[in-house]
Amino acid sequence: MEETKFEINGVEDFAVREHRSLWIDAWRRLVANRTAMVGLIVVVLFLLSATFAHFFWDYEPKTDLDYSAKLLPPQLIATEEVDIHLFGTDKLGRDIFRRTIHGGWNSLRVGLVAVSISLLVGGILGLLAGFFESIRMNFWESFILMTLLGFTLGMLPAWIAKQFFQAILFALLGAGSIIFDRYLNGKKKHRLYIFPALGAMLAALPGLMVGPMVALVCGVVGLLIGLLLSKPVGGELFSNIVMRIMDIILSFPSYLLAIAIVAFLGPGLEKGMIAIGVVGIPVYARLARSAVMSVTQKEYVLASHAVGESHSRMLFRHVLPNILSPIIVQATMGLANAILSAAALGFLGLGAIPPEPEWGAMLGDSYKYLSSGAWWAVLFPGLAIMLSVLGFNLLGDGLRDALDPKIRL
Amino acid sequence: MGRYILRRLLSVIPTLIGVTLVIFLFQRLIPGDPAVAMLGERATEENIARIREQFGLDRPSFLDRDALAEGNLAGFFDSQYSRYFGRLMRFDLGESIHRRIPVAETLKERFPATLELSLLSMSIALLIGIPAGIASASKRNTALDGVTMVGSLIGVSMPIFWLGIMEIMLFSVFLKWLPTGGRLPTGVEIQSITNLLLLDSLLTGNFAGFVAALKHIILPAVALATIPAAIITRMTRSSMLDVLQEDYIRTATAKGLSLRIVLFRHALKNAFLPVITIIGIQAGTLLAGAVLTETIFSWPGIGKWVYDSILGRDYPIVQGVTLLISIIFLFVNLVVDLSYAILDPRISLE
Repeated sequence: MEETKFEINGVEDFAVREHRSLWIDAWRRLVANRTAMVGLIVVVLFLLSATFAHFFWDYEPKTDLDYSAKLLPPQLIATEEVDIHLFGTDKLGRDIFRRTIHGGWNSLRVGLVAVSISLLVGGILGLLAGFFESIRMNFWESFILMTLLGFTLGMLPAWIAKQFFQAILFALLGAGSIIFDRYLNGKKKHRLYIFPALGAMLAALPGLMVGPMVALVCGVVGLLIGLLLSKPVGGELFSNIVMRIMDIILSFPSYLLAIAIVAFLGPGLEKGMIAIGVVGIPVYARLARSAVMSVTQKEYVLASHAVGESHSRMLFRHVLPNILSPIIVQATMGLANAILSAAALGFLGLGAIPPEPEWGAMLGDSYKYLSSGAWWAVLFPGLAIMLSVLGFNLLGDGLRDALDPKIRL
Repeated sequence: MGRYILRRLLSVIPTLIGVTLVIFLFQRLIPGDPAVAMLGERATEENIARIREQFGLDRPSFLDRDALAEGNLAGFFDSQYSRYFGRLMRFDLGESIHRRIPVAETLKERFPATLELSLLSMSIALLIGIPAGIASASKRNTALDGVTMVGSLIGVSMPIFWLGIMEIMLFSVFLKWLPTGGRLPTGVEIQSITNLLLLDSLLTGNFAGFVAALKHIILPAVALATIPAAIITRMTRSSMLDVLQEDYIRTATAKGLSLRIVLFRHALKNAFLPVITIIGIQAGTLLAGAVLTETIFSWPGIGKWVYDSILGRDYPIVQGVTLLISIIFLFVNLVVDLSYAILDPRISLE
């Protein structure tokens, strides 16, 4: 069939435009965006050079030492005495170009893994929190929630009395609350007496075996837990607990928290990944939750609810695909931040363990020799950090414009 | 308004208790015995036990279930955390384990240094960010806009510790214009009133002292200001662009008001809310960024102090400083929320 083109004021008519999926559409907008393409090229170059260097360019940091070539400035032409050193050499005579390229493997890997940790944990928490805040839990979901809640709360008297089985008793109490709610719904009033009494008993009787004082304290704790469990809690409580914990994490300055976590785990690349990943969790949890909550108000979710689709199908078929764009944008920008934080940790001596090359650690190594005027030893690793971060930021900016054409920033 | 402030202040309490719990937990989880760290590896068992008892390190972390099993209810609640919390209620931050000096005392000495640095950085960031954002929005899609946007993106991507190092390299090592670090050169004295050196030297009319202090603070302040300046620029620009599309802006222009009045009287006020939020968030970033900046410039503030203390396992210092920073952060955000009501009468706080 011959292609017909409708031109209205130079704009292709929307109705007869060929069908394109959201992603292809977004990709075309991205390609048309010059700054975003610069970002993409920078990112791809960094990723490729790091990967190729890691697999095809041997480097043994432990034996890389050459005192005869200490702190040489960049040398572009080989002479009889010295080899080519594109970026110069550092205080141990190591070629900075080589270490910068190899350092990319470590620095980018930390960023990628850290963002994956924050994205997975934060995303899942935010997804569930947002979903169950706007959609009522069904029987089995509340059953699992109440059992877990009972078990968690029951850990306290169990710990005090050193009797683990108490936690299981409280898990049963939580489950009982849901069953009670379903089958004896009319008698709401009794629950306020029955459950605290049961809780006090479950905690105090085993406590008696240890001592009278233990029984007393456990009894009081059990009473309070029983009171909490007497009314089945819904998704709002779950969401509240999750978001409150996220608020607490957010009220710490991020670097400080990451440093504290690494101090706890001990230095090392993997520990740095975990630290940066944990610190980033609340950002994704908040983002995912608010995105889910706006999507669940949409008609198509309402419709799928009305036709009786299962919650998991609703979540994965209707909600998840529609919250992906803001999360992809945030993850790209987050990668930039994670690389920066990883470099900061490395700089403070809490990231990669020397002599392993890593951009931040290379800076931290060389900056003590500043007064010798060896500018090349600090210029190039820092430039690598900045350019890679800039690449991810440019790409993220472009992705935002491409994925959500309504927002113009 | 009064009631809203009270309610917001009360809502901070559970978060603060959570913060004290986390701070406490982290310090306990970090491997390594502070008593051993204090006395050295060759300390005798007795000495270690004595120190542990003196600092309450022999108590359980949260609750003493063994005391309860013996029927001792008061002993049940006597733990490291409850002691720590009790001291906090009396504004006692404890004593440094290594140096045996009250944390609050050193804090009083070191905090002004960080405060001075942060305030100056924030001022620099605002002085650059807001005008740049306004100019860039009002001249959208021009060369000026392009340069500003690229500049702000580079600013956001800048590792500030690297920028600090490059500053030292250029201005201190090669040009020798400015000192490499510290707060004051030896031999220069500034009579302390607020401990903010710039302010003190002006108050006492000590001009030479002011210049010396300024020379020391300018490099770290610029390094620390980079990221906030870039973020404020971007936020101001995008928020101004939103507002400039509104009908009342067109009306104001149509009735013949000058560009200056339209921009500053009609647009800026309305564009300012998101900018204020960002400024609040950046306050926390500044305090945290101080760890890196202060390390590079040997700035005697709390950032370098807390970093050294984490490595030295000096729990009370880490707890005190982290708590202080979190309180400031929460308080700044409260002020940000309140400023909404002042800037935008449509927002009701009740």
